[in-house]
Amino acid sequence: MDSLDLEILFALQDGIPLVREPFSAIAVHLGITPDEVIERLKRLREEKVIRKFGLFVWKRKVGVVANAMVVWAVPSNRVQEVAEFLSKFREVTHCYERRTTPNWRYNLYTMIHGVKRKTVSEFVKKLSDEVGVEDYLILLSVREFVRRSTGPIRPEGWSGSEPSDIN
Amino acid sequence: MTLKATGRLDLTDRRLLEKAQDEFPLTVRPWENIGNDLGITEKEVMKRLSRLSRRGFIRRIGPALDAKRVGLQASTLIAMKVPKNKIQNVANMISIYQEVSHCYQREHEYNLWFTIAAHNELELEKIIQEIRRGAGIAEHDVLNLPSTRIFKLDVRFQLT
Repeated sequence: MDSLDLEILFALQDGIPLVREPFSAIAVHLGITPDEVIERLKRLREEKVIRKFGLFVWKRKVGVVANAMVVWAVPSNRVQEVAEFLSKFREVTHCYERRTTPNWRYNLYTMIHGVKRKTVSEFVKKLSDEVGVEDYLILLSVREFVRRSTGPIRPEGWSGSEPSDIN
Repeated sequence: MTLKATGRLDLTDRRLLEKAQDEFPLTVRPWENIGNDLGITEKEVMKRLSRLSRRGFIRRIGPALDAKRVGLQASTLIAMKVPKNKIQNVANMISIYQEVSHCYQREHEYNLWFTIAAHNELELEKIIQEIRRGAGIAEHDVLNLPSTRIFKLDVRFQLT
């Protein structure tokens, strides 16, 4: 990945314009052709620097309800097994292990989507029973204050070497 | 993701949204390509997208990035205990930071949860302290919860 790639990603951070040729403006700005912009984006997508390219909806608007974060206290020797089990469910969209603190013992975090608010606790109880972890908390979202794309990216600060893959 | 019928989206709108989410064509004239797949004109694709955008259905059309691959090496999840009467003001302050991608109020005594992505640990720590002090929250009312392993990260519901 070079600095031109980063310039492209930086320019597209807030999305592409709704014009017939959305990649032409950025191409002109960078002094390259639209085809080159597109080739670079395709490569970045193949290399998974771009995790997804496409349209992102406002979930509440399109009828998906309840953003539930469920945190679990799992014995460390079971984390892998429990995580893999929970991840199999379609409704579990994210599953992370996180650091604990002296006053916060929960180490496994799952985001549950697409489950109606009033059935979330039933659904989670089912997960809990199936996986055999009883120590959990459901942290329902009450308000969304910020929801935006990853950023900022700083093209000027780019050293040219790609960081090693983590996770 | 199958979209529930909201009564305000017709079938073509729903097909358009699904196509643009799941199979966005990286081409010079993407709306034309999408139109070809759906059996409508490029102009109609653009008109519908414009209307959907005005009605607030579309967040954006663009890339979702792997933060670490673009130099954001340090990230974490922060939880804070914020007095209810301050939560809007604190959230407003937090939302000014471009490094914050998600911020939610949740039903718990730790009621404000947000993610931060920064170029390095030093920058990350600086931002955390700035936010904490700016919000007037004591250190013992803040949880810093970086991820140690990622087991599942669904690109369809990207949550960096």
